[in-house]
Amino acid sequence: MKNFGWRAAIIIGVIGVSLFLMIPDSEKRKRGQWVNLNLGLDLRGGSHLVMEVVTSDAVAAESDTVASRISQKLKDKGIPFESIHRDGIQTIVLAGFPAERGSDVDTLISDTVSPNEWTQSRPAPNRIVLSMSPRVARFLEETAVEQCLTTIRNRIDQFGVTEPSIQQQGGLGQKATSRIVLQLPGVEDPSRVKDIIQTQARLEWKEMTYPPGIPEGGFMAPDTREALASMFGGRLPEDTEAYPQPPDVRAVAAGRGERTYWWPLKKVSGIAGADLRAARRTQDRMGRPAVDFELSPDAGRRFERLTRANIGKIMAIVLDGNVISAPVIKAVIASNGIIEGSFTREEADDLSLKLRSGALPARVNIVEERTVGPSLGRDSIRRGVAASLIGFAAVMIFMLIYYKGSGINATLALVINVILLIGAMSSLHATLTLPGIAGLILTVGIAVDSNVLIFERIREELGLGKTVRSAIDAGFKRVWMTIVDTHVTTLASAFFLFAYGTGPVRGFAVTLIIGLLASMFTAVFVSRFIYDLVLRGRTRVEKLSI
Amino acid sequence: MRLFAKPNYEFMKYRRFFITASLVLNVIGLGVFFTKGLNYGIEFTGGTELSLKFAQSPDLGEVRAALEREGLRNPSVTTLGDPAENELYIRVAAEGHTPDQEPAEAGAGEAGRDLTRRVVGAVRGDVAGKLDLNLADTRTITTTLQGIGVGTDEAARVAEAIRVHRERQGMLAGLQDLRGIQGVTPELARRLEEISIVGPVAIRAQNYVGPSIAPELRKKAVWAVLGSILAMLAYIGFRFRFQWGLGAILAVIHDVIVTIGIYSLTWKEFSLPVVASFLTLVGYSTNDTIVVFDRIRENLRLKGSTDLVKTINASINQTLSRTIITSFLTWIVCVALWLFGGEPLNGFSFVLVIGIIIGTYSSIYIASPVIIFWEWLFEKRKIGKPLGGISRR
Repeated sequence: MKNFGWRAAIIIGVIGVSLFLMIPDSEKRKRGQWVNLNLGLDLRGGSHLVMEVVTSDAVAAESDTVASRISQKLKDKGIPFESIHRDGIQTIVLAGFPAERGSDVDTLISDTVSPNEWTQSRPAPNRIVLSMSPRVARFLEETAVEQCLTTIRNRIDQFGVTEPSIQQQGGLGQKATSRIVLQLPGVEDPSRVKDIIQTQARLEWKEMTYPPGIPEGGFMAPDTREALASMFGGRLPEDTEAYPQPPDVRAVAAGRGERTYWWPLKKVSGIAGADLRAARRTQDRMGRPAVDFELSPDAGRRFERLTRANIGKIMAIVLDGNVISAPVIKAVIASNGIIEGSFTREEADDLSLKLRSGALPARVNIVEERTVGPSLGRDSIRRGVAASLIGFAAVMIFMLIYYKGSGINATLALVINVILLIGAMSSLHATLTLPGIAGLILTVGIAVDSNVLIFERIREELGLGKTVRSAIDAGFKRVWMTIVDTHVTTLASAFFLFAYGTGPVRGFAVTLIIGLLASMFTAVFVSRFIYDLVLRGRTRVEKLSI
Repeated sequence: MRLFAKPNYEFMKYRRFFITASLVLNVIGLGVFFTKGLNYGIEFTGGTELSLKFAQSPDLGEVRAALEREGLRNPSVTTLGDPAENELYIRVAAEGHTPDQEPAEAGAGEAGRDLTRRVVGAVRGDVAGKLDLNLADTRTITTTLQGIGVGTDEAARVAEAIRVHRERQGMLAGLQDLRGIQGVTPELARRLEEISIVGPVAIRAQNYVGPSIAPELRKKAVWAVLGSILAMLAYIGFRFRFQWGLGAILAVIHDVIVTIGIYSLTWKEFSLPVVASFLTLVGYSTNDTIVVFDRIRENLRLKGSTDLVKTINASINQTLSRTIITSFLTWIVCVALWLFGGEPLNGFSFVLVIGIIIGTYSSIYIASPVIIFWEWLFEKRKIGKPLGGISRR
């Protein structure tokens, strides 16, 4: 036969490489795996989370920052104004400045923000409306997703999950989305991880608006929103908003107080999203857990100015919209401080972790979650492997009985097919999921189909009175196009599964695609070679075991 | 050994009867699909599903009542696998919880966490602020141990030992289990007993799909099915002829409709993997059809055959043993998956067990008759006259 040596070399080489690729690395050996396959979370146990970034938050935050900067500059220049606040997510309204200083205000604003990024309009002589350009808004939204990705990665790394995978959803024919996919192998209860990921950790210091007629030392936060509003004569000033202070968890547990207190705080923060250099759990004077923080030099300077202006007044520390504590500022604070709340040790640890890893520029919502316990995963593997082996054995027994000697040929081809499949999946770092096991076993069905096609054709040709050699020749040649056609059509549907499928279904598609390619090689190339090997050297072949 | 030595059945003679029967089956299938509908999984409706393991054999009615008391409407509660394992599958669709129970600002994530917590809470009952050793993760157990004065390393070791024990048993049976765990001293066990309980439920798996993502997954599933069908139509049209592609596609649609009707009747859950199995069925059925088509083309080309009906009939007979053997082998494999593959693969393999039988039938009685019908309709040629055009490619 032609090129006998070459063909033998190719087959042995491919099998050798596949076997080599199947050898598990040390990490997988430790887990007791004997093949180098990445197991999906449905087989290993773990959590799969899909999160959606609320990108409008980032736009709103930028508007707040700009408002805060303008407000500060107006104060520095001594221009009086009634209020500055954000309206919607990308509009800022400045109201109540003296109309005769309008040009000063204009210069000040154009010094602060670029007119390309913010368009200005003046509906009244003492009122300015700033709108963010859509281009900037889009840019902010895109960066928000990237930042969320980085921050979440930081948090997960510090939390200590082994081999996490954190990715933006999209790619390969799908456009990038504002979704983040998180895979956490071995995490059985994701509630704490979710909490750590989802908390925005947006720490703000806010000045309080004192209700008219109440001395600086005499304010007591009321426990309803309405009571707070009535302190201001029924309606809060435009730049002020009511912020809740949720009840202390441990106080509730002990049966003391379940009230939420409401604080009248400025909408625009004194310091918003200040970059912290460090944060760690510490203890307050009473020995209770607290969080110690250190600000960056720039934020420190701003903080110093802010505290100096507010000595003797209340400033609230607000975390993600909730007041954690509202201390009276006793001294100027520069770069170091301590947050006292009513934390447990665990909460103080988690809060410092979140603060250290940076704030999320936007909220993230969990839109999809899959958690499989490790014991269920092991069950699934056991059952899946058992079912595969039974199916595989049934197929082999049938082939051996029905096609006798040629059945051995088909069986060999099938075994090589599976070896190739597992080898290829290992080298591509493809993930084996539970539907993937089903894909694997279906591949066996497809591979055996090619063998059946060939064998039936050879039988036919033999029936026509051809010699063994020419019957084999004709069988393989005639069936080749059929095999190509069937494989290409199945590949087409597998491709759509891969492109539109999610999670485990994709795993199924991957197994199917690789299996189809492997089956073309084994059913045609390998089977043919085995026939040639058996018939080699014999001059006259009378009978074929088929 | 040979199953069909020289088959010569007159398949095409009965084509009108079988096509009529298939049409009736399809109408019934569509009728069932549209009236009864499918038992959609949470990927399509949004919601939460949980696999729970119970310490004692759970009462399904009681669990359902507890969930409904929680305000979770129409929960689906079924036994999972072997009843002796005390496992339940619970599914609550997103519509099942009323929106007014949570603040408007809370996003979908909050709702999901809330939903899962409510299901577990309803099933488990009150824990009075204690640590549930059957539900807590290792980190929580570790910090709790540290909280009662256990050293950091020892706490981690004990928590891990508890987890391993819990996993091996499926769940902890009671607080007395603690004493059998390595590293738990009698003193530590006593103190753990004070602050923790062993709940009657352990979570084996939990899935949540937010209402915002469900329509998208639905859309993707539809696209995947349509896309793959169109791709195959294009390929067959290119390799053979357009009307042959049409025959293959009609056969596939026939298979999907009948199978989906049967699936609807069984009221098994229709989840994403089941969509994958329908796609597999689509691929499989086309596979079968193509083998027959290939043979028809070959016969037309080789013999310059004169009679389309006779040629098709001969081709089906020639490929019959292959069709039956392959279908049987693939079917056996799917039956093995169905019987031994466990709960998660049940719906998936069921579709194939049914679909392969229907797909094999349709490649004989739907795909080929469509070609004959087309020829009769458009080629304005009396069947039986020579078919020159076909042999060119």
